[in-house]
Amino acid sequence: MKRRNFLKACLIGGATITLGKTNKGWASGSFEGYPDAMGVLVDTTRCIGCRSCEAACNKEQGLPEPDTSFDDKSVFEEPRRPTAKAYTVVNEYEKKAPGGPVYRKMQCNHCNEPACLTSCFVNAYTKTKEGAVIYNSKVCVGCRNCMIACPFNVPGYDYESVTNPIVKKCILCYDTRLKVGRPPACVDICPQEALTFGHRADLIKMAHERIRATPDRYYDHVYGEKEVGGTSWLYLARTDFEKVGFDTTLNNEPIISNVKEFLGMVPMVLSIWPALFSGIHLLSKKEQHDEEGHDTESTQEDR
Amino acid sequence: MKKMIQHGLAIVDSPYLESGKKRSIMDKLLLGLTPSQYLLQAFRNPFNWILAVIFAIGIPILIGRFFFGLAWATSGSNDYPWGLFLGFGLFAMVPLSSSGFQLGTACEIFGRHDLEPIERLALLNGLLGYFFAVIYLLADLGQPWRLPYPMVVSFGPAAVLFLVAWHVSTYLSVQILEVSTAFFEWIGFPAGKRGVRRITLGLTVSGIILSTLHQGALGALFTYAPGKVHPLWYSSSFQWLHFFVSSLPGGLCMVIAVSTIAAKTMTWRGDRRFHENLDRITVSLAKGACMGLATYITIKLIAIAHDNKWSYIDSGWGQWFMLEIILGFMLPLALMTYGVHTRKMTVVRLGAFMTVFGVVLNRVNTAIITFNWKLPHREIPPWREVLISITIFAIYIVVYRFILYRLPILYKWRMQEEAVTVPAAVRAPAAARRESSQVPVASYSKMTDIE
Amino acid sequence: MPSYKHLIFGALILGAISVSYPAAAPCAPVPDSVTLNQSGKQFKPFSFNHAKHIQLIRECSDCHHHTTGTLVLDPNCARCHQNSSATAVVSCKGCHSATPFSPETIAAKAAQKQSYHLDMMGLKGAMHHNCIGCHSKRGAGPVGCQDCHPRSKQGDAFYSAARKGAKPAHAKEH
Repeated sequence: MKRRNFLKACLIGGATITLGKTNKGWASGSFEGYPDAMGVLVDTTRCIGCRSCEAACNKEQGLPEPDTSFDDKSVFEEPRRPTAKAYTVVNEYEKKAPGGPVYRKMQCNHCNEPACLTSCFVNAYTKTKEGAVIYNSKVCVGCRNCMIACPFNVPGYDYESVTNPIVKKCILCYDTRLKVGRPPACVDICPQEALTFGHRADLIKMAHERIRATPDRYYDHVYGEKEVGGTSWLYLARTDFEKVGFDTTLNNEPIISNVKEFLGMVPMVLSIWPALFSGIHLLSKKEQHDEEGHDTESTQEDR
Repeated sequence: MKKMIQHGLAIVDSPYLESGKKRSIMDKLLLGLTPSQYLLQAFRNPFNWILAVIFAIGIPILIGRFFFGLAWATSGSNDYPWGLFLGFGLFAMVPLSSSGFQLGTACEIFGRHDLEPIERLALLNGLLGYFFAVIYLLADLGQPWRLPYPMVVSFGPAAVLFLVAWHVSTYLSVQILEVSTAFFEWIGFPAGKRGVRRITLGLTVSGIILSTLHQGALGALFTYAPGKVHPLWYSSSFQWLHFFVSSLPGGLCMVIAVSTIAAKTMTWRGDRRFHENLDRITVSLAKGACMGLATYITIKLIAIAHDNKWSYIDSGWGQWFMLEIILGFMLPLALMTYGVHTRKMTVVRLGAFMTVFGVVLNRVNTAIITFNWKLPHREIPPWREVLISITIFAIYIVVYRFILYRLPILYKWRMQEEAVTVPAAVRAPAAARRESSQVPVASYSKMTDIE
Repeated sequence: MPSYKHLIFGALILGAISVSYPAAAPCAPVPDSVTLNQSGKQFKPFSFNHAKHIQLIRECSDCHHHTTGTLVLDPNCARCHQNSSATAVVSCKGCHSATPFSPETIAAKAAQKQSYHLDMMGLKGAMHHNCIGCHSKRGAGPVGCQDCHPRSKQGDAFYSAARKGAKPAHAKEH
């Protein structure tokens, strides 16, 4: 092949590859959250499992009528998870414990570095400066990678819908409340004030202060302070968190850290491969080939 | 077709009829048969009966998936968002389709022109595999009409899936161009073929780059869920390498498998160049696959050592893992090595089929079976999901066969009146028609005896 | 001029003044009943029998902690509040805000970061904890939601009460 044609080919090949290849490695260093970000502290020692928060969320977000009434305590028989129809659920743990059962509210934890956000290839998620992780359903393709990525198994998908199935999850009542500084509906309704709303940084201090002031009441750990890079929903419990249905095997690195290694490889391959393989081609060219380099009596015989 | 050739049919392998006139498109499409002859041979083929049953049940369900939504067609699970369409259709078919860039590289970059008889089959295998992986994806996406969104509407460039989307679409274009040479030959548009040949080198290099990255990226997708895939199938540092390296023997063995099936079921379609070189090429491919398998097994063991996961082998999952790696990778490696060494082609081909099975099993394990291993229940795909997967795979086979029957993939398109590459046995029918004698058709079984 | 006359006159006036402005008498009368949950939407307002509770409990500070009665029994509180006196406002809402999470309250808390009792419950939480806490401990008194404040129609709709008895929500959600 003539040199000119070869170079032309390389240029076309190179242009083809670089078409919109904007993958960049994520910046390293940790993100502690926006300075004015809000959060919610969940004190499971106060929760009585009344499910008012589920009812409030259902009404605030215009969710469909539930399968059973929010008064129904039989739902506690099996642990539930958030779905497209229920952005938050309360589960019962330690049912036979002497101190009584423990109830735990589960919803999107609004992580500082959310896995859903990092995995979305249409950038449907946004971490707002108020702390909420919100979602733009207008660009969602329905790949459900965010559901795979979420370490807390939170996002639900609207499989039932034919024309507009989208991901559904807690948005901290961003559109209706958080934007104007008001707390989410679940916090407002809780009769036991198990949910405390405030600046995330203050809530962490408050949580540690509660542990310090009444150490017999609490297990000495604030879940969500550091897990997967820190979350906006923080938890206190009277016992080891694993007993209350939390995943205690998560480490403190945000999920993106796992992916960074591969993402960093991408520009390396894009830069090295062209030269590497073009070079090998140049090295392996033989004289016997005709103009196109094909199908002359090839001397390369296999054994 | 075999019977028809025995009775004197001349196969379509050049733009000219025997009389010297140019063939029409209809003639090329119908394999040189009249429409009634064509339907006759289609009805006679027992494989078509199986396909008919699959399509009769499966096509309505496939259409139903788009009318009734995903909840109707799949398990619609929040804990297991990815089911068979992706776990098998995408994750398993993509590594098996890596043959395109491998043979392209071998022939164009490394100069192994002796592999040319299989090159086009490998390219076609790659193209169809990716194309149908995208079909499976369209079946799986919640809003498939939004498939172009990551290209044009909204970018999420930090996401691995973004890379996959861009690469697969770019690579599909590359592969279409690479296979287009065969199409242009067949259609009779030499200018198109010349144009593509000029940029072949660039296409091939792009193919290698794109393939390395997206084969790896499919593995990297699971690094988003580090705790959810069982530790024996997951490696925090090397997941992408495992997927990339295992795709290499996967693609090569898929070519061996497909060429075996093609040589047996459409013997008439392969020309002498194809049949005579098939065994030698199979051995070459198998050698490459063996290297890939050996490398994969090594890096898999290294990864387990790296994270010190040996203790996991002593469990139910561990036994399943041993089954996969032995049946799917170690045993085929041994078989193919032995087969290559002693030139026992059946053993080599058995090893190849087992490798294909092994790669598929590995992907399905990672994506579905060991996914959410910590959760108490396993998700079994519902029957509609299974049926749709089978149906799409059947369509894939039909399209594959359609193209192989027609385009110069397994044979060389004779441009002028060269009689060189046509086996004498097959050429004879024109004369035999006058003498009406039984003509032996070149058969695969006779070809396996290597002198 | 006899200074004695001025002295006696002054003392009489002082005495009159001191009698008319008593130093430590209660400002408002103790109510017999209080209407609680006045602005309740899901649950109706209800009447709280204050008199009965006074009869049963006697010690004001059992409920009105820190504000009246025998102050500062808790040793933790005594560290600072040993010598505190009764406050002017005794009712719960005097300290516990009805809107603890409103932007205004949060801003106010942020403004006084040095304050010790930043982690103070709002009114709703405080009342529930105080009342139900005591009732549970004593094993007497209402503990259920509707035992104190029955639900309104709006509340029934809020809790989807009509769906009670339908299939339990835990069925088949994976």
